Amino acid sequence: MDAKSKLSEIVGAENFSDDPVQLRVYATDFSYYPAGAPNYVVKPATSEEVAAVVKFCGENNIPVVPCSSKVHFYGATIPKEGGLVLDLSRMDKILEIDPDNRRVRFQAGVTWDKLTKELREQGFRVIMPLTPPAERSVLTDFLEREEPTNQVYDYGEPLQAMEVVWPTGELFRMGSASVNGYPDSPSKGGNPSGPGLDFYRFFQCAQGTMGVVTWTNLKMESIPKMDKILFAPLADLDLGMDFLYRILPRRIGQEVLLLNNVDLAAILAEDWPGDFNKLKAALPPWTLILVISGLLRRPEEKIAYEEAFLAQVMRDEFSTIRLAENLPGFSGLRTKVMSILRNPWPADVPHWKNRVKGACQSLFFHTRPVRTQSFVTKVQEISARFGYPVNDIGIYIQPLEHNRACRPEFTFFYDPKDETETATVRALYREAAIELLKDGAVFTRPYGDLAPIVYERAASYAANLKRLKKVFDPNNIMNPSSLCF
Amino acid sequence: MADNQAVRYYSPRSDFKLDITDIQNFVYDMSRCIKCKGCSWVDHTYMPGAKFMTRCPSAARYEFDAYGAYGKVRIGHAMAEGLLDWNDKALEIIYACTLCGACDVGCKRNLDLEIELSLESLRVKAVQDGVGPMPAHKKVAQNIAQHHNMYGAPHEKRTAWISSAITPAKKADVLYFVGCTASYVNKEIAQSTAKILKAAGTDFMLMPDEWCCGNTLFSVGLLDDARALAQRNIDEVRKTGAKTLLISCAEGYRMWKVDYPKLLGISTADLGFQVLHLVEYVDEKVKSGTLKMTRPFETRLTYHDSCSLSRLSEPWTPYEGKRGWMGCVEPRLKRRRGAQGIYAQPRDILRAIPGVNLVEMPRTRENTFCCGAGRGTQAAFPDFAQWAAAQRLEEVGEIGAETLVSSCPWCKNNFAQAVKAGGSNVQVLDISEVICASIEE
Amino acid sequence: MAISKEIYKALEAVVGAQYISDDPVICEGYRSGPGGYEAGLGYERVMAKVPGCVIMPKTTEDVQRIVKICYRNDIPYVPYSTGFYGPRSHPHVEDALLIDLKRMNDFVLDEKHFYVEVGPGMIYSPIQEECMKHGAYVVIGGGGAQASAIANLIGDGWSPLSHRIGLPHRRILGTEVVMPDGELLRLGSLATSDDPFWGECPGPDLRGLLRGYTGLRGCLGIVTRMAIKTLPFQPERLEPTGISPNTALALPEKRIKWINFVVPSKDAQVMAMREIGHAEIAGAVTKVPLFWRAIAKAECKEEFWDLWSKENEETVANFFIVRVLLIGYTSEEQMAYDERVLMDIMGELGGQARRTKPSDESWIKNADSAGMWLMCGGYVSVDYVIETLTQSPVHGPEYAEVKKKYTPPLMPDYGDPGWFQSFELGHQGYSEFLVYWDPDDDTNPVDQFYVDTSKMNIKNRFYTSLLGPHQPLYLTGPKYGPNYHEFLLKVKNEFDPKWRSHPPVPLAHDVFVERAPWMHHMKDWESPDDLMK
Repeated sequence: MDAKSKLSEIVGAENFSDDPVQLRVYATDFSYYPAGAPNYVVKPATSEEVAAVVKFCGENNIPVVPCSSKVHFYGATIPKEGGLVLDLSRMDKILEIDPDNRRVRFQAGVTWDKLTKELREQGFRVIMPLTPPAERSVLTDFLEREEPTNQVYDYGEPLQAMEVVWPTGELFRMGSASVNGYPDSPSKGGNPSGPGLDFYRFFQCAQGTMGVVTWTNLKMESIPKMDKILFAPLADLDLGMDFLYRILPRRIGQEVLLLNNVDLAAILAEDWPGDFNKLKAALPPWTLILVISGLLRRPEEKIAYEEAFLAQVMRDEFSTIRLAENLPGFSGLRTKVMSILRNPWPADVPHWKNRVKGACQSLFFHTRPVRTQSFVTKVQEISARFGYPVNDIGIYIQPLEHNRACRPEFTFFYDPKDETETATVRALYREAAIELLKDGAVFTRPYGDLAPIVYERAASYAANLKRLKKVFDPNNIMNPSSLCF
Repeated sequence: MADNQAVRYYSPRSDFKLDITDIQNFVYDMSRCIKCKGCSWVDHTYMPGAKFMTRCPSAARYEFDAYGAYGKVRIGHAMAEGLLDWNDKALEIIYACTLCGACDVGCKRNLDLEIELSLESLRVKAVQDGVGPMPAHKKVAQNIAQHHNMYGAPHEKRTAWISSAITPAKKADVLYFVGCTASYVNKEIAQSTAKILKAAGTDFMLMPDEWCCGNTLFSVGLLDDARALAQRNIDEVRKTGAKTLLISCAEGYRMWKVDYPKLLGISTADLGFQVLHLVEYVDEKVKSGTLKMTRPFETRLTYHDSCSLSRLSEPWTPYEGKRGWMGCVEPRLKRRRGAQGIYAQPRDILRAIPGVNLVEMPRTRENTFCCGAGRGTQAAFPDFAQWAAAQRLEEVGEIGAETLVSSCPWCKNNFAQAVKAGGSNVQVLDISEVICASIEE
Repeated sequence: MAISKEIYKALEAVVGAQYISDDPVICEGYRSGPGGYEAGLGYERVMAKVPGCVIMPKTTEDVQRIVKICYRNDIPYVPYSTGFYGPRSHPHVEDALLIDLKRMNDFVLDEKHFYVEVGPGMIYSPIQEECMKHGAYVVIGGGGAQASAIANLIGDGWSPLSHRIGLPHRRILGTEVVMPDGELLRLGSLATSDDPFWGECPGPDLRGLLRGYTGLRGCLGIVTRMAIKTLPFQPERLEPTGISPNTALALPEKRIKWINFVVPSKDAQVMAMREIGHAEIAGAVTKVPLFWRAIAKAECKEEFWDLWSKENEETVANFFIVRVLLIGYTSEEQMAYDERVLMDIMGELGGQARRTKPSDESWIKNADSAGMWLMCGGYVSVDYVIETLTQSPVHGPEYAEVKKKYTPPLMPDYGDPGWFQSFELGHQGYSEFLVYWDPDDDTNPVDQFYVDTSKMNIKNRFYTSLLGPHQPLYLTGPKYGPNYHEFLLKVKNEFDPKWRSHPPVPLAHDVFVERAPWMHHMKDWESPDDLMK
């Protein structure tokens, strides 16, 4: 049976397409990576359909590119060797909300918008990265390790037990969802790990190369009863880092992040480009944003002791840092930023990153906070070499795990219609990645151009990864020419 | 107790005694080791950090599991069951060990296993099987048989330490048992002890004919010789009518208080006289005001708990009984877990001396790392003894102590030798000397 | 095939003559039993062997060279950190090389970036002491403070402190693994640099090869170095007090405090844990089985039985204690806040605070697992599983039910339903079931009970820790995933095609069932004829 017939049989004819116009949607994304050329797109509704599709493709050597979002920045879902795009957007069910265990189980196609709204109705939220697009898949963001802005939870990663389809087309449940008969079981899927091996780890940052994740359990948290958002303007990044080294291990705050004037201006601006330019010029070089919250019980008391602690530290040790409810000269910021931090980026507005010049390329990695300034300096040097205006670089620093580490993100904005500019940014990005990697920056999400750079340096790791890949996907059908496969 | 259970799973099995002449008495203990290595690790609550983590010198030095109690009891168990033969390695494993009791105390923190007795019994078995003790030990035994002292020195020179200033009484309530080492090698200890007694107004007598206490004989498994010596020595003391036997050597203290009764199948209380270490005596005298230590000793000082005065020093009571359901013993056995060791008294004494700044090493009291010399080890494994002492001196250095004090001439000599070899300038003293210096006019 | 003279010489050249031995007495010292965790049982008697040779490397390079020599020459080998885990950490075939990793106990602590870096010879209590000196703390696994931290982190790794700290898997940072053929795999930030501070790998995370929910017992590589995340603690010193056997840490009362609560029912226990989790307070929350109190009070085994024989099914069933550890991470005010919230919750549930000693005997720097052998001499945990507070409280009673059939020889515990507690601020729940027996008794029923619990879990759809190498793989495999065993075996075959790394793990329990006649009637599942391949 030919592919079209078979695939149509599996998902239904209306959920299959080989129409070039429809396929073009999947050929590119917001990145500058060249267009791919998918042959088909299917939109399954159930895990069983996914399994059948993948099985068929495996048997017929058709590459499969899983795609669960409508918003992509990194080129991960551009088919590089043709094949089939597995569009999971129809799998948009929230399967269970379990308030007792603060757990939510949902399919890959569930968006931030949907999940945030439904959970809010029950008083819950999922800790979120900075401004996730409303139409983006929540599952994908956690799988791809988008760092949440809330770093106060010691236990880290909120992912729990998942269901996947292996490249062979076998349906498989991991962690404590692996019990027979799940979810009709006392086991609820609260444990991501096992059985036998920590298979879930193989799917993290895998860009679909190890199989398809159909649904996951995720921790949800209570919505705080009270919030106080605080801002501190900073000129000295090192001082800001020292301050975070001091306060974050004391488990202060919920959301905490640092934005430079460029990024913050882009996030806040409503009227483009006027607002943006004005804000960019007026905002301090860095803004530290810290949300302290009262939780379910005695919320004002929690805020009180955190405030008391902060006040004491600032008085006795960091007298030049002024953490307050508004940024001087920017009244009304707190309501606006609070809303931005607790909601996805609305779908009816271009993402702030794309509003600056139309497109962007972000370089992000992990490092020790004490090294951040040196990386900032280095990136600025490299940018200058490529003629990219240093003052146009967006910088977002996410403290991680009580500030034992952080994730600096450098965003280079460019006009996608300008080929020279695009090429410059691409070259600058590659050069910066190479130099930063040499300098100890840790890249855990090797998208696009980063992949060969990182895997060359991690050659031994890549060799072992390839051995693992051989076990699960011997014909390399899952998103080939991504990562090191 | 078992009679109260509604269900009796099976009949009580083995009769057993805490008698080291028969290794079968300890098959239960050896077979129940759980390999937690609590016998070697410092008590976790007291674990000082990434340095000085263990308190078994044998395990620390030789590193194979065989050398820790966890290995020795497995080996012992196999031997007791007739499944393993002696060889040179086995002898080294059994004898390169000071029987310091760290393993016994460490194990008994959580379990009811007699590790020290198992190890003692293994040495007895080595002798019974004709493979032990080590040649160096046989030499010591020969010296004792011929000259009544470990060193093979002339017996008549045993009292040469008595200076004109010292006048033992013909009869007194207190008998000072000097011991071979203080008599022949560390006369300063004997002399200091005598001076302390005098300063406290205590008359003391000596044994009319003092012989070796037999520590080495007993410790290496030459039980028949040790028993004969024990009986002889006890009889001689009883003849003197002494009420108290005072001793300033920790090894000797343990022999008289614990192992003589063990050898003779009696309890410490049955000896007919009290066995006191000098520090117990002095502590009481200082606290009652009879002894005044007034001369200052300006020093940063640390105290090393000699094993036989601390972990191994609780009195002995013979035991025989039955082991039954779940290994429970009848009658009830109050085990010697080292908690009543002589830890406080020497510290109280040292703190009472003006000018002394007493600091503790990371491994202290029941967690002490043995000096490495005791119970036959130095004779047969001098390198190991020095190695252990050097390990302990690292700790002394770690806390910046200038003076190292212990309560046993074995400790003192071994440390002094290691200090010299290592080129440090730590002053090594016996507590008797420190006390004596402080009471002098 | 014994290790030949030539191969012995090659191995000796790696470590030096002082650190290798094939002397039979030395090797006997490494026997698994007869005492120990899961010892004195059929599995240990049938499967565990004394090694043919023991070697003690010092560096990762040493380990690589040793493993390469073994792999080339078909010598089976087993990695061994402390040996505490019982027969599963000891050779299962004759003439194996036991690689004793105790010399690999280097230690580095990074105070500012909250991690320590250790070798497999490093155990928990020194790590915890060093951490506490620098404002941090780790979880001391329930296995005990004497467990190798690395072995624990790739095998188990939780305790009541996991209420806040969470899964051990996320505390594994930059790690080095010598793979079964001797090649080196560097994980986390070590994949691209020499700085081990970050655990995530570039792309798909091969930390997934280190363990499943529980570990692989050394059949898929040897971890020679690991950076472990520590968590910020509170700044005051916890002073050790007492003389053995009564030692404990004195707690600085305004910054750390245990409180024991008596609550009216089991439901109240569960509710308390849930509410405490939802309120996002406390450093540890657990219930306590009644007989642990008897263990703590008893001065000896016999006294334990005096105390325990006064209990009965009713007292056990009606003993509801919730033990809460408050930690003032931020400040004294924060701990006071936590306590007020806790009292609110307990007030709602009818919980009464009992006078609680201001000390910690177990959990912060020590985990008194050794006491588990006091009562009977034999002990194993037949489950220690993290799931949710939905599964955890109902799990233990199912075990208690199965256990009835096998008591005796299992210790009479009046139907004790095991231990459960809150994990990850109530997002997870934990259940553990412990059993005890006299090893001198007929222990065949204990072996049967062990496999019977696996069937109980499958039947009742419980997640369980005893998967992978811990139970017959062909029994559990088809029922979880399904068919997780096929993937596990494929991975094993890829990375260790010659099965030289701790053979026949992960099929060791399957082999045991085949070899032990008293287990044959238990086998009602399919498995290949030739289990080794």
